Amino acid sequence: MKVFRLVSMFTLILALGIGASSCKKVNDADVQKAAQETLAANPDLAGVVVTVQDQVATLTGVVMDDATKAYAESTVAGMENVKSVVNELEVVPPAPDFTAVDAAINAALADALKDHETVTAAVQDGVITLTGEIRERDLPVLMEKLNALNPEQIVNNLTVK
Amino acid sequence: MALVDKYKELVDLARQNNVLVNESGKVLKLDGVVPSASVKNKMWEIYQRIDPQFKSNDLLLNVKTAVSDGGKVKVVTKESRLNIRKGPGTDQPIVGKAEKGDIITLISKANDQWWLVRDNDGEEGYCYAQYLEPIQ
Repeated sequence: MKVFRLVSMFTLILALGIGASSCKKVNDADVQKAAQETLAANPDLAGVVVTVQDQVATLTGVVMDDATKAYAESTVAGMENVKSVVNELEVVPPAPDFTAVDAAINAALADALKDHETVTAAVQDGVITLTGEIRERDLPVLMEKLNALNPEQIVNNLTVK
Repeated sequence: MALVDKYKELVDLARQNNVLVNESGKVLKLDGVVPSASVKNKMWEIYQRIDPQFKSNDLLLNVKTAVSDGGKVKVVTKESRLNIRKGPGTDQPIVGKAEKGDIITLISKANDQWWLVRDNDGEEGYCYAQYLEPIQ
């Protein structure tokens, strides 16, 4: 019986020892790799870079909004062997796409300019830029037509006569 | 100075009429439907008083006068007669003319720019909406 007790005690010590040593052997590089792979699986988080030191994960890079920033943090915080997360992500909203807006304005522009032959208009990113010349009394009429086309801005470089 | 302060008189009138006021960056946008043409005209009048030649490039005034299908609209061209066209576009053939000051009937709106109307001779076709002013 004594021998058995001794053996089992050794086994216990050994097990604890191995357990304790395996705890210490968390490899930051492995954690970092796993975290980066998890983030890479989500296209919204493609701009996030994670570095891990002493099981503390630091997030840097760019995301499109606050919700994505928080989501990146919770994703990494929930991973094995990550003690805490330092969230240094920067929120940069994506540049809006004006292709459809420009097309709609351009389609309606010919009719709006029909009675104003001396006026030329260019459209870029929802901004209508006017060049040429116009009689002062026709200007409000033209402006009213153009304001109704839902532009982002009207830049009036017209010479008013 | 903030744009809402620069155009305060206009912004106040807009808010009284539930027109959306949105200052985003360098442009102030006023968007909405007002109950009568006189309110709309008043807004343009104020705008032009603050910025006589529309050179500030910092305001968008997109207000429409409320009108429903079957309502009456007045032809508000400067001096010429208003073309009534077969379809919604200046490339469409002219099927009739409406006199300045005529009050005709709105049948329906093809879009924001082109409205289908019936003139006093019973002729139907499309007119450019900026030359039509809804009346109450």
